[in-house]
Amino acid sequence: MSSTQSDSLEEFIPASQTELSRFMTDNAATSQKQIFPVGGRTSLSVCCASSLSGIQVCTSQLNRVIDYPVRDMTITVEAGMRIDHLNEIVSAEGQRLPVDVPQSNRATLGGIIATNTSGPKRFSYGTIRDYVIGTSAVDGTGNLFKSGGRVVKNVAGYDLKKMLVGSLGSLAIISQVSLNLRPKPETLSMVWFTFDSYQKIDRALEALTTSGTRPTAIEYCNSKAARQIAAESRFELPCENDVICISYEGSNNEVHWQTNKIIEEWKEFSPLSAQIVDSDHATRLYNAFVEYQTSSDDPVTLKAVVLPSQMLKFVEAATELNIAVQAHAADGIVFGHLPDSASSLEDVKHILNRLKKEPSLQTGYLTIYQCESEWAEALPLFCSSPPGWSIMREMKNAFDPHQLLNSRRFAELVET
Amino acid sequence: MVEQTSQTITQKTPLLAELKKGSSDFSSLVQQLTETVGKEGVLYDAQELLVYECDGYIVDKNAPDIVVFPTSTEQVSKIVKLCNQYNVPFLARGAGTSLSGGCLPIGGGVMIVLTRMKQILEINLRDRYAIVEPGMVNLHLTNALKGTGYHYAPDPSSQGACTIGGNIATNSGGPHTLKYGVTTNHVLGLEAVLPDGSIIELGGPTAEVPGYDLHGLYVGNEGTFGICTKAIVRLTRDPESHRTMLAVFQTIADATRAISEMIAAGIIPSALEMMDQGIIEAVEEAFHFGFPLDAGAVLLIEVDGLEIALDEEVRQILDICNACNVREIQRADTPEERLLIWKSRKQAFGAIGRLSPSYCTQDGVVPRTRLPEILEFIEETSKRYGLKIVNVFHAGDGNVHPILLFDERDQEQIQKVLEASEEILEKCLELGGSVTGEHGIGVEKINFMSRIFNQTDLDAMESVRNIFNPRQICSRDKVLPPIQSDEKSTVKQSHPARHAPH
Repeated sequence: MSSTQSDSLEEFIPASQTELSRFMTDNAATSQKQIFPVGGRTSLSVCCASSLSGIQVCTSQLNRVIDYPVRDMTITVEAGMRIDHLNEIVSAEGQRLPVDVPQSNRATLGGIIATNTSGPKRFSYGTIRDYVIGTSAVDGTGNLFKSGGRVVKNVAGYDLKKMLVGSLGSLAIISQVSLNLRPKPETLSMVWFTFDSYQKIDRALEALTTSGTRPTAIEYCNSKAARQIAAESRFELPCENDVICISYEGSNNEVHWQTNKIIEEWKEFSPLSAQIVDSDHATRLYNAFVEYQTSSDDPVTLKAVVLPSQMLKFVEAATELNIAVQAHAADGIVFGHLPDSASSLEDVKHILNRLKKEPSLQTGYLTIYQCESEWAEALPLFCSSPPGWSIMREMKNAFDPHQLLNSRRFAELVET
Repeated sequence: MVEQTSQTITQKTPLLAELKKGSSDFSSLVQQLTETVGKEGVLYDAQELLVYECDGYIVDKNAPDIVVFPTSTEQVSKIVKLCNQYNVPFLARGAGTSLSGGCLPIGGGVMIVLTRMKQILEINLRDRYAIVEPGMVNLHLTNALKGTGYHYAPDPSSQGACTIGGNIATNSGGPHTLKYGVTTNHVLGLEAVLPDGSIIELGGPTAEVPGYDLHGLYVGNEGTFGICTKAIVRLTRDPESHRTMLAVFQTIADATRAISEMIAAGIIPSALEMMDQGIIEAVEEAFHFGFPLDAGAVLLIEVDGLEIALDEEVRQILDICNACNVREIQRADTPEERLLIWKSRKQAFGAIGRLSPSYCTQDGVVPRTRLPEILEFIEETSKRYGLKIVNVFHAGDGNVHPILLFDERDQEQIQKVLEASEEILEKCLELGGSVTGEHGIGVEKINFMSRIFNQTDLDAMESVRNIFNPRQICSRDKVLPPIQSDEKSTVKQSHPARHAPH
């Protein structure tokens, strides 16, 4: 254990689950200071932590492998383990956690569960919730509780681990996690298409629902985002127009067959260009897509979740507002980096208000994904009430009765 | 014949009222329920109620006082509000295929049967979801999707009878969940009537919703959080092609080694099912598939995906099987042959009647690599108790289903079955597994909960249940043991008996 203290924010670094539990019990019983769980500190700007006072509980020392029965293709690790480290361990055995994580050299497992982080390959592999088979966590009063176990199939008891996915550290601090792993594919290739109209893109995306191929990811980016992604990948790609980039994974044989097949299938939608990107270029390009959601220096990054069929309508509106847009097209998840010209809070609110009126958001949600700390208090994390909000509040009260765990973050879930 | 269980079910929550037939409350409740769902939607005749006294778990039985058949969410809500008004317990039931007593109406009360709510409300291929009512039979959804290139992936072996609402309640599995995941991986959202009668939506058709994953939490609640009245489920692309094989091994050890080697080699078959010698005999005698009767075990292996990739995958599987001393491999070259192979697996339970008058199926899970140990333990247990135990199970998930054969007319055998089952499940826990992979805790395994979880874990679960169902008026006394840990479940096992196929 170690701890530090600044003017308004102390730091506590537990060395074990027991220590974490004891600390939380003591805090709840005595000082009742606000607690801010942090892993790799990659998502703090989701809600301004720096302007708050209390204690940062850092999981950096909870980073051990508890058990890795390789041939069972499961692993149990402490939640503070960095994703790169986890990947390194399982990759040596030809396995992987098939979840895309930006800033994986800093992000921790507990952090990505708490923030429900995902990326392009969620289309084919799902999200972290599909791989977590067991968790241990410490609630706001110090109770260390577990859910699930270490086997891939288990329905004993309530699925409390689901409740922690995306909870933003407001219910409990995740301390240990068991994961189901998957085999590493042999290869990755991508096909970069450019189009000159939303209509053509829409028809092409619709045709993907019956394509002979099985993409692992389907990414859309407008030309503004395409330029940034292409530059990041250090590979010359056409990016004067909107782009659809489709990924394939698997054996060399099947990936090669699919990249050619999709080009053939999409000829009828008259793309301006179609370019296969493979080998190291594909990895770099893919990573650029993964990182893009958090890579911007722009003041605000939005996240919208809409029905996939509504994605382009939302994107069109965002593009008109000069927003750089990347979308997991088949999942309807859109990330938008606001332009530098949105330099004041009023500018940001104006853009938000325009987007909130979009009919494509009627079945969907708009979120402030990241923003500068000085604006955080003035912007709601989520722009509409989630379904089940009253139950969520009761859960918050049950697991954190003194409202100590990232409480502001929870309260800011909805616009007041 | 199954003996009638003695009345061992006790009232645990004294605040709830007991419905006495003939009382003014009973008559009044029946009348109001009839006004809500129509005369044809209410049963209260003792003979008619017998059908609903248990589900696939028939060790304990208790008939409800009234059965109602709503046809809409609004009707369910009204029924639930009436139950609250009269202070009587209630619970939901689908097709009654649950295997752990999830549909046992402890304390009597009102049973809300959802089989008339079976409509497909929407199929949206572009956005890859369907909205269905809870009484929809699992297989009917997949049948409705035939020709679209999509299907609903969770496929419990009872999928021809079980309902989507029931699948959600138990987070059920099936042979193809090895690759595609269990029910929770395919539920995007749902509508539910909470135990106070209010209607709530959780999740939704979009890929994610803000806040806590309440629909994920709801899946697998075994009916204790309320009544699911609508489900938004994910649709999955059909694979382009399949390869289905039967690999015959001389010993169980060789078969389980092949399973382990396949997973370790990074091959995730879409199904990997195992049958041991005992079940092979029964299946062969019943259906004459041509299984060698002296084989120790047979693996049903299916891979699916793009046609161009499958032959290579099959080659790897053959290599692994050969390295594990496979005796022979039968391949299904036509859809008819594939169907035949699957028939041998899915009808295995139907063949057991040839072996024994009664049987009891268990539902343990172990890490995949511990399969040899649990199977060896099951064999030892079989010898120690003088009970025949056969195995047919989801080997790729480590989800074993030892089937204990006995004669329920023999009290001594019944006791042996109870004790042997308990030992096997204990061994699963000792090997790092669980006591249920897909059937649920229900009332059957409620006493295991305090062995799997400590009191803090159970308290956390209790606090979640209390949010949804504070008075335990809905599906009472399921999943969680009584608060006093030394107190046994309010339902005592009288004897095990025949379980439905799964």
